Amino acid sequence: MLETTRWINNYFNDSTDAIMIFKDDELILSNQIAKDLQNELELNPQYLVEVADSSVKQKFSPTDNCFSCIIQNKMKEISIPITLAKNMPHPLNYFMIYNVIDQNEKVFSLTLKNRGTIDRMDQLAQQRKLTQYVNRAHEKERKRISEDLHDSIAQGVYSAIMGVRRLENNHFTAEEIKELTTVIESQLNDTLTEVKEMALDIRPSVLDNFGLLAALKVLAKRLEENSGVTINVAGNANTEHLSDDIQSVLYRITQESINNALKHANADEITVLLVAHNHYITLEIMDDGDGFDVPKYQHFNGKSMGLMNMNERVKTFNGAFKMESKSGEGTTITVKFPVA
Amino acid sequence: MNPEQLNSPNDFQTIVNKIYQNEQFDFVGIALQSSEAPHSIKWDFVAGNTNERFRKIVLRSGIGIAGLVVRTGKPFWDNNLNHYEFSDEMYTPIAKTESLRSAVAIPIISPLTNLVRGVLLAGYRSNKIKISGQTALTLSQYL
Repeated sequence: MLETTRWINNYFNDSTDAIMIFKDDELILSNQIAKDLQNELELNPQYLVEVADSSVKQKFSPTDNCFSCIIQNKMKEISIPITLAKNMPHPLNYFMIYNVIDQNEKVFSLTLKNRGTIDRMDQLAQQRKLTQYVNRAHEKERKRISEDLHDSIAQGVYSAIMGVRRLENNHFTAEEIKELTTVIESQLNDTLTEVKEMALDIRPSVLDNFGLLAALKVLAKRLEENSGVTINVAGNANTEHLSDDIQSVLYRITQESINNALKHANADEITVLLVAHNHYITLEIMDDGDGFDVPKYQHFNGKSMGLMNMNERVKTFNGAFKMESKSGEGTTITVKFPVA
Repeated sequence: MNPEQLNSPNDFQTIVNKIYQNEQFDFVGIALQSSEAPHSIKWDFVAGNTNERFRKIVLRSGIGIAGLVVRTGKPFWDNNLNHYEFSDEMYTPIAKTESLRSAVAIPIISPLTNLVRGVLLAGYRSNKIKISGQTALTLSQYL
C-alpha cells in the first residue's frame, strides 16, 4: 500500500500538467510544475480560483445561453481556456480544468494543461489523415493508369491490328481501301491521343520543355475539347526563372481549379491569367459559373483534398492563396508567389 | 433514305431535324468523323441545342455513351446520366452541356466498310420518358 502511494505521489509530482488542490478555496497541495509556474509567473492561486469560480457561476446561470457553454456543460469537469503571463513577451496558453474531488469537504483541483500540446495533437491527427489520403490517392492513381493502359490503349492497338488484317485478306476497291485506311488511321490516332493524354496527366512534359504558359494552353485545349466549355489562357509570364516546384504547383492548381469549375460550377467560360510582375507572379482562374459558399468547403473531409490541398501546396512555397466566390457570381482563385 | 445516299451534309441535318420534329426528344445530334487528319469526331449536326458548347467538344472513343458507340459499334443508352462527374468513364460531355438526363446513342455505319463513322444521339432533359432498346430501334429507322 505504501509502495503504491509513493507511485501516485511520484506521478502527481512529475506530471507535465500543473495540478493544484484546494480546500475551502485555500491552496493545500500543488505539484512541482505548479510550484514552478507560481514562482516564475508570480501567479496568485487565488486568481485561478476566482476564474474557476466565475466559470462555475456562469455554468449554472439560467440567463446565459452561449452555445459553447452548452458544450462545456456536457463535460464532466469544467474546462476554461486561460492565458497566463499576458504582459510577458511570450504569453502561455492553457486549459484550466476544474474538478471537484470532495463536494462535502469543499475540496477541488485545478489542472493547467498546455494548450500548445493539445494543438500539436490536433496537428498530428490531421497529418495522419493526410498521409492516409496521400497513400490512398497514390494507389488509386496506379489503378487508374493500369486500367487506362489495358482498356484504352491495348484495345486501340488491337482494333488497328484487326483492321490491317482485313486489308490483307480481302479484295477491296480503291474507294473501300481509302475508307478502311481512314478508319485504321483514326483508331491509331485515338490511341495516340490517349497515350499523350495519359502522359500529360501523369506529368506534363510541355512544362519541362516549353514552360508553364505553353503547358497551361495545352491543358486548356484538352479540357475544352472534353467539356465544350470555352477556356482561355492569357499571360505575359516568362517562367524560366521560376523553380520547378512552383511551376508544378501553379500547373496543378490550374488543373484542379478548372476541373472543379467543370464539375460543379456549370460555367460557360473559364479564364486563366498568368502574369509576372517585378517581384511576384500571379495566377488567376476565373469562371462565370454558379459560385458557392467558400467557408463550407474549406475543411478537410478525408476524401477529397480540394481547397485545403491547394492552399497547403501554395503555403509550402511562401505563396498566398485566395478564393472568392458568391452564389450566382462565379468563382475566382488567385495565387501569388514571390519571385526573387 | 438508304445508307448509300447519306453523304452530303444536308442529309444529316435533314435527319436530325426530322427526328427532332417527329419524336419527343429534347436534343438530337450527329457526330461524324472528319475525313481529314486527325479524323476527330465532332458534333456537326444538332437540333434542340440550348447553347453553342457542342461545337467545341471532340468526342473521345470509349468515353461516355457516344464514345462507347464509336468504340463498339453497338447502341448504348442511359437513363441516369446526370450523376456522372467530369472524371468518370461514363461522363458524356454532350449530355452535360445540354443537361440531358437520359440519352441513347446508335452508330452510323459506313456502307463501304461496315465500320463506325459517326454517332446519332438523342436525349431527354427530364426523366419522364425512359429510354429502352425500343428507342434505339426507332432511332435506327431514320438512318
